[in-house]
Amino acid sequence: MRPPGIRGRRGAWPVTVVAALITAVFLLPVYWMVNTSLTRPDRILAETPDWFPAPATTQHYATALSDDALLRALLNSLVISCGVVALTLLLGVPFAYALARVPLRGSGTMVLALLIAQLPPSIVLAAPLFILERRAGLDDTYVGLIAADTTLTLPFAVIVLRPVLRAVPRELEEAALVDGCGPVGVLLRVVLPIMAPGLIAVAALSFLIAWGEFVFGLTLASEPDVQPVTVLLNAFVGTHGTAWGALMATATLISVPVVCVFAALQRFVVGGLAAGTVKG
Amino acid sequence: MRRPRSGLRSGHRSGPRPRPRSPVSLDARRRRAGYLFSLPGLVFLALVLAYPLLYNVWTSVHDVRLSELLGGSSPFVGLDNYRTAVDDPDFWHAVRLSLVFTAGSLLFQFTIGFALALLFARPFPFNGLLRSLLLVAWLLPPVVSGTLFRWMLDQDSGAYNALLRAVGPDTLAHDWLTDPGTALAGVILANVWVGVPFNMLLLLVGLHTIDPELHEAAALDGANAWQRFRWITVPLMRPVSVTVLLLGLVYTFKVFDLVFVMTGGGPVDATSVLSVHVYEVFFKFFRFGEGAAAGLLLLLVPLVAGVVYVRRLRGEGETA
Repeated sequence: MRPPGIRGRRGAWPVTVVAALITAVFLLPVYWMVNTSLTRPDRILAETPDWFPAPATTQHYATALSDDALLRALLNSLVISCGVVALTLLLGVPFAYALARVPLRGSGTMVLALLIAQLPPSIVLAAPLFILERRAGLDDTYVGLIAADTTLTLPFAVIVLRPVLRAVPRELEEAALVDGCGPVGVLLRVVLPIMAPGLIAVAALSFLIAWGEFVFGLTLASEPDVQPVTVLLNAFVGTHGTAWGALMATATLISVPVVCVFAALQRFVVGGLAAGTVKG
Repeated sequence: MRRPRSGLRSGHRSGPRPRPRSPVSLDARRRRAGYLFSLPGLVFLALVLAYPLLYNVWTSVHDVRLSELLGGSSPFVGLDNYRTAVDDPDFWHAVRLSLVFTAGSLLFQFTIGFALALLFARPFPFNGLLRSLLLVAWLLPPVVSGTLFRWMLDQDSGAYNALLRAVGPDTLAHDWLTDPGTALAGVILANVWVGVPFNMLLLLVGLHTIDPELHEAAALDGANAWQRFRWITVPLMRPVSVTVLLLGLVYTFKVFDLVFVMTGGGPVDATSVLSVHVYEVFFKFFRFGEGAAAGLLLLLVPLVAGVVYVRRLRGEGETA
């Protein structure tokens, strides 16, 4: 695992310092978001910005959280994201299992189709979905949004899960089958526990994709009842363009679940990313 | 691992079995289960992905208006919509912007990503932690990143202008996003920021596949760091690099949210890349047929790049 560079760990600390500095500069925008959200309103538009919010204020957060529309939108995003995770796993796990393990006719074509399914820009899909969901009465519903978002997560989920499933020892399954366990039983009792890390990766990434999704929310949800928080933030930018404190507080609130999910599951997320390489 | 396998195999082939099931029926059951298992996902993707895309093709050759959405007639118009779409100077303006946006984003996110990958390929304390922190930029919702960069690039109080003023004359400060001359650069900057961690991550995976002994041997032969980079790292990283660039092309060409949130395509169409143009034709002017046609033209680039990518994956041999 030793990378190119023949010196070992000797003299590694200076590299840490360099890497930390680069990381700090790179993450300046994120720091600035949090910094602004904690800065007193009269200091935000100051000629020379404050690099530290001293004294810090939580009033932007209080304003943001007292807004029913924001709370509603956060709830909508949560419902939609959880729906997407559930639907993705429900459809993706058996699908990936079939493609990994069963000698199906045309499974090669299906894998190819799944890779290609990740190519269309969301906006190209949103246009026909706008017409079709409207006809079907699915516009402005959670179901319509969850279905649309799942087109982003399902192909990648199957592609990530297929190799994971292949790594499950076939003998375990065969033993279970011989012992009288049905195919569904094998999947639930033998395979799922082994592939838990892959499942967590797919669930986490699906959640992150759905939480950040914007195009379908913008085009398929015109009612605040179902609009995700990304759409609300954009509308907020348009109308309160210069209320940067409240805006950054809202942006920070939207980022918190992302960072939490990533921090808790980052081992799996990074693994899943590397395995998938094809992300929508 | 090896013992139970052979045990099971021989158990299958000969000798009395405890249960009356032959391997053939096991296989048949497996196959039936396979079809059943893949069916829900297939039906879903057919209904929500394939059918809408085909319907888009249908829309692109019909005259579909807002009034006809709720059950009117939409006469067949052949390639008229495509003609209208490509006769629109805005379309070609958008194509040009998309090309500049994509080329600029790829160039910077790849080179910066490569440099960071080289840095993070070295073992040092807190390597993993710092790498994860960098990934946060990629994970943030694009709408958040867009809002963030709008604020960073703001003329009066934006952090970037404050930094520029701190290091140079006041004239360096600039209203990046409302000046048509610099708005695209501002959008590219934000997109590069989003893309760097992902490029770094994939390139890092590639770097780790290089056998360190190659470097050690070259170093013993007197090759300096630059020579080792130029003659070992670069050639061996070529396949991974092409893959990363192809993926970057696919993703960058279809970026919509980041640009839309930062500028809405403005000022005066200075950032209305193809995806934004399609959005406007379809959802703002409700010219459905033309929008569908322009959308399918937008689809071409990722599709071609994607097919090349998939063929490369196949070529490398599917071992996973």
